Amino acid sequence: MDTKVRFFELTMWPHMRAAYNLARWLVRNDQDAEDIVQESFLKAYKAQESFRGSEAKTWMLSIVRNTALDFRRRAKAGFAVPWEDQVHEPKDDSPDPEHVLLNQSRREKVRQAISQLAEEFREVIVLREIEGLSYKEIASVLRIPMGTVMSRLSRARNLLLVELGGTKLDGAGEVQHDLP
Amino acid sequence: MTCREAGPLLHARLDNELDMAGSAGIDLHLSDCRACAAQYAALESLHEEIAAADLAFVPGAALERNLVARFLEEKISPFRSWNWLNSSILAAAVIAIALIVSIPMLRLGGGTDVITAEILDNHLRALQTVHQVDVPSSDQHTVKPWFQGKTSFSPRVPDLTQEDFILIGGRLEVIHQQPAAAIVYRRRQHVIDLYISPSTGADSNVELHELGGYHLLHWMQNNLSYWAVSDVDATDLRRFSDLIRSN
Repeated sequence: MDTKVRFFELTMWPHMRAAYNLARWLVRNDQDAEDIVQESFLKAYKAQESFRGSEAKTWMLSIVRNTALDFRRRAKAGFAVPWEDQVHEPKDDSPDPEHVLLNQSRREKVRQAISQLAEEFREVIVLREIEGLSYKEIASVLRIPMGTVMSRLSRARNLLLVELGGTKLDGAGEVQHDLP
Repeated sequence: MTCREAGPLLHARLDNELDMAGSAGIDLHLSDCRACAAQYAALESLHEEIAAADLAFVPGAALERNLVARFLEEKISPFRSWNWLNSSILAAAVIAIALIVSIPMLRLGGGTDVITAEILDNHLRALQTVHQVDVPSSDQHTVKPWFQGKTSFSPRVPDLTQEDFILIGGRLEVIHQQPAAAIVYRRRQHVIDLYISPSTGADSNVELHELGGYHLLHWMQNNLSYWAVSDVDATDLRRFSDLIRSN
């Protein structure tokens, strides 16, 4: 079997959905996310010699993330596409009609709460809670130490709990509670 | 353990990132400290809520088609020229026309041939349209539940990626006036349709049928009738059916 076909089918293709999901969460726009996946696949294909049999999924997702960052840089340099600037707006402005209908639903609130997180927090939540990656895998995708993964994840979850009206947070682990 | 020490470990515990000793240590603290236990419960319910909300964005079928077209048919294929592509489309059209002409005649034959022709007919119709799958997914856990409430049985959708049979998705079909599941796999450029429909009959061995350059394998298993159809070679299709039967 053609090794290149094999590479595409075994290393790249199985992670297409995860790639799209990550890109879509990062850029918050269907068309851009599709373009990023296509571009990432081309990059991955061209870089297949550099793939040393490590985890294919983290390798692919790392390429997707870098492509998304480049994409944003280009968008900023060229047209004034407001992309990261929407972070603190209260709503995801995706044109999804479902969004309007289910705006009040809890699911939509959760989606919005994640969507509003600053990128460094949003990406760890997406990789951990939606894609189910381990800390080690997340560290490899984001190229940051495991300790940073843990602190960002902890911060991100606390922000979500506050936003979603969970338990009031006093920064567990930072405050000494009374022990019985 | 103090709460300060416990804080970051709550997340690691929730994410199954601790070893047994670490888990035991944090569990002991949680049984003693109400504040940390409440915090842990809140994190746990957040985790469950995000999972239940099913927030993964699903790519449209167009992206899948573009990627397959780009990488399998143009970029990577050893037969990459447009001439080849055009001639293969031409060849497919010739076969399709031949079949359209021959199928009514085959139908007169009755018995298995009629069914064989019907199955192949479905397969060819699906190949001709851009809409090959209703639920495009390479994830068996997405494809299988999609049929819930649409068919009277739950089709098996094994992940055969390791064996070079790539899951593309599923679609609903009608065979003998009954809802049937079509599970679509791909092996290189060849599409394999696996039709599953309810049927009463004893389990049977795999029978090979050939029609117009296509191979069809049929067998019965657990009151379900299986048909695997493709233009992939018979050995590969036989391996595919063996994998489906044993999974």
